[in-house]
Amino acid sequence: MGDDWMIQPVGSGSGCWAPAADVYRTPQGWLVKFDLAGINPSELELERSGRHLVIRGVRRDVMVHAGLQTYSLEISYNRFERAVGLPCDIQSTSLSTEYRDGMLLVWLNDTSGRSGEE
Amino acid sequence: MKMQDTQRARDNNQDMLDTESGRQATESNGGADAEKKAAEDQLPWKEAVLPVLPLRGSVMFPMMMMPLAASRPASVAAIEAALASEDKTLIVATQLDPSVEEPEQQDLFEYATVSVIKKAERNNEGVSLIAQGVLRVRIEKLVRKDGYLQAHFAPAPVACEKTEEVEALRRNVVELATKIAEHLQGNAPAAVGQILTQVTDPLELAYLLASLMGLSVERDRELLAANSCEEVLRLLIDYLSYELKVRELQMEIASTAQSEMSREQREYMLRRQLEAIRRELGEDGSEQADLVELRRKFEEVELPENVAQEVEKELKRLERMSPNAADYQLTRTYIDLLLELPWNTVTPDNLDLEHARAVLDEDHFDLETVKDRIIEHLAVMKLNPEAKAPILCFVGPPGVGKTSLGKSIAKALGRKFERLALGGLHDEAELRGHRRTYIGAMPGRIIQAIRRCGTRNPVLMLDEIDKLGRDYRGDPAAALMEILDPEQNREFHDNYLDLPFDLSKVFFITTANSLDTIPAPLLDRMEVLTLSGYSSEEKEKIARRYLIPRQVAEAGLKPDQIDITDEALRYVIRGYTREAGVRNLERMIGRIVRKTAKRIVEGEPTPIRISPDDLPDILGPERFTPEKARQQLRPGVAAGLAWTPTGGDVLYVEAVDLGKGGKLTLTGHLGRVMKESARAALSYLISMAPQLGLEREHLENASVHIHVPAGAVPKDGPSAGVTMATALASLFAHAPARADTAMTGEITLSGLVLPVGGIKEKVLAAHRAGLKRVILPKGNEKDISELPEEVRQEMEFIFAERIEEVLAAAIPEMAQRKPPITLV
Repeated sequence: MGDDWMIQPVGSGSGCWAPAADVYRTPQGWLVKFDLAGINPSELELERSGRHLVIRGVRRDVMVHAGLQTYSLEISYNRFERAVGLPCDIQSTSLSTEYRDGMLLVWLNDTSGRSGEE
Repeated sequence: MKMQDTQRARDNNQDMLDTESGRQATESNGGADAEKKAAEDQLPWKEAVLPVLPLRGSVMFPMMMMPLAASRPASVAAIEAALASEDKTLIVATQLDPSVEEPEQQDLFEYATVSVIKKAERNNEGVSLIAQGVLRVRIEKLVRKDGYLQAHFAPAPVACEKTEEVEALRRNVVELATKIAEHLQGNAPAAVGQILTQVTDPLELAYLLASLMGLSVERDRELLAANSCEEVLRLLIDYLSYELKVRELQMEIASTAQSEMSREQREYMLRRQLEAIRRELGEDGSEQADLVELRRKFEEVELPENVAQEVEKELKRLERMSPNAADYQLTRTYIDLLLELPWNTVTPDNLDLEHARAVLDEDHFDLETVKDRIIEHLAVMKLNPEAKAPILCFVGPPGVGKTSLGKSIAKALGRKFERLALGGLHDEAELRGHRRTYIGAMPGRIIQAIRRCGTRNPVLMLDEIDKLGRDYRGDPAAALMEILDPEQNREFHDNYLDLPFDLSKVFFITTANSLDTIPAPLLDRMEVLTLSGYSSEEKEKIARRYLIPRQVAEAGLKPDQIDITDEALRYVIRGYTREAGVRNLERMIGRIVRKTAKRIVEGEPTPIRISPDDLPDILGPERFTPEKARQQLRPGVAAGLAWTPTGGDVLYVEAVDLGKGGKLTLTGHLGRVMKESARAALSYLISMAPQLGLEREHLENASVHIHVPAGAVPKDGPSAGVTMATALASLFAHAPARADTAMTGEITLSGLVLPVGGIKEKVLAAHRAGLKRVILPKGNEKDISELPEEVRQEMEFIFAERIEEVLAAAIPEMAQRKPPITLV
């Protein structure tokens, strides 16, 4: 450890963790898929900001209520935040979400009829 | 992968800084506002009390990820409690004293960081975690419950406003960190560089650098206690500059040590190469051989103890020295000098009086007083070998043989001879040498001469001691005083030598043309022997005995091939030279001999006879009209005698009566003393006019002009007094002085004639000029004995005590007209 560990880029600014995301091109616009299992959707917040799609939220470990003792821990809990950059402005797109199999799918459809940047 | 994604998202945020929403996103990333909001409104943890993990020896900063290992039961219990919560939070607090096993509130630092456990793993010792700081808090109350510490706390986010000052401080930090990174080993500099460019949030950057630099816990704590981003940055700058200084110093020490090493190594390598080159050139170890040779010499010569010690010391120094050192040659030269100087070497004196006399007579004509003095000294040396060597001073006109006499003395004594020309010498250091510290320092001339001789009892001739200069560099005459004082020169101190050298056995001879310019104290140390000029007859003998044979031999002729008649020789002496010595005479003879040699080579039958008639063809027209006595003198003219450095001369004093006016005009480049003696002569005549048969009134009113040719030659001295008086008396009496009579002598107002110097030269001059009668002061009667016998025979001397006697002897008419009246 020591210096080797120290010089790794550490943490996001506010001490949040960031979920992984895939971005797809769709005929109507964009599909952004977040790896967000174990989330209470009511604790999610999505925001379109220029070319960025920002997601914030909290993941809580609900197992503790069953009185179980953690033996080892690898999954990140607590607050997370992630901004996904897209090649074009998404301010005016329509946004719809679906929570499927532990993945959060976010569709961004071009309402002006124009698809994103070629 | 996750990290990279995060990174990219943040980079994109950076790109979008100019848009409103972009700014918001950034702020929510790390801004204090957002955290505050999070802390106050939507705390991610529901509990108001959190478990506390005491940390030994380090500080958890907000936003930093840190590996932790817990083994103490209380710590493990705290972690268990955190893991049992929904959001895995706990407070990481730093222990003030790391040695306390079970810390209580007073043992923990007041500021701590709420952290989220990212990863946890159990092992034999306890639990290891990776936790990330989230928010700075102040612990308000600490209780121990369920076996671990629990804290009531208040959020204390660090205020971070993006002011210009903060930005300036941030840049400062980056600059310092970059410099420090340069001193780091391995890939650390690159990694630090990456962080510095990637992390833009000043607070995060500060905390990150603090963790990276491995500051002391105290400093980490101070950073955590800082309430604003600005304060954090300022503290960090302090720490970093200190760190930079320390590291630079460290580098400097390391590099000096290294360069010292490499310089020595380089020298060693070069030396080895040089050795190899030498071997290749066949100059194997020349320095070594040099030193061995010096050592050998040192062991051979016998040196006084103090000198041997000095040589030993210097030799040792030399052996240790690199041959390329600047001092090497200096030291070598010095040792050479010490070894070469004749500390104990003396030549045995030849004390055979007969032999000495023969040698002196062989080389020099006459000069009896000097020769006698040398013989006397030899006699003394025979009786007392420890006698001090005399210090002689030969005074005389040029060309009388002072220098060659010195050589003869050395030859007679069997000693070495060295000559030092002091003419124009004006630097004391020339005699005494320079201290060895000066570049180009050399021993003085005295020591150099001794070294050349190789003995410490040579005859050392100091030529032209009357022409010593003197300026701001010192007075060589003063240095000579030490050298020429038998009491002091036993321990003569040369600046270069720096060891006393005994000069007391050196036979010093100095030469001078005149004694006037020799400082009195110096003159006092020497025994003055005067070599006066030679008479024509002496010159003739010298020419016959020495000059002609020498010149004939030099021209490659045989003595019987050339015959210079006596008349021709006399004509050369009188008509072609005018000197006290014989230098010009020898030159003229040389010319005659060479012209003759040419004729012989051209085939003329020998012997070739040279008569006076041949001389104008050989030497050109007569140079000097011999000072012939004027056949007849007009009234008002009298012949005087003068002494010059080149011998004596006849001077005619001429006086004319310019009628009334009572003025006395004196011309002929006369000095003050001479002018005064003219006035005295006139005053005396006026006062004694009746007794001398002159008209007093006429004398009182007369204007007189006195002139002494030749007008361009400066003249001075009182010895023309009688001549002036005679000329004036002859003028006023209208009676001419005798043409065959010359005179010299000083007069007083009461009419006395006082003795003067240079009688021999003066009488010789009169003799040369063909004047047969000379009037001299009575007081100079004794000097007649110095004259050559034949001159004495040929001349008539009149010794006068009073002016009247002079006038009677010089002006026959006056003697007849009035008998001289002697006044008391």
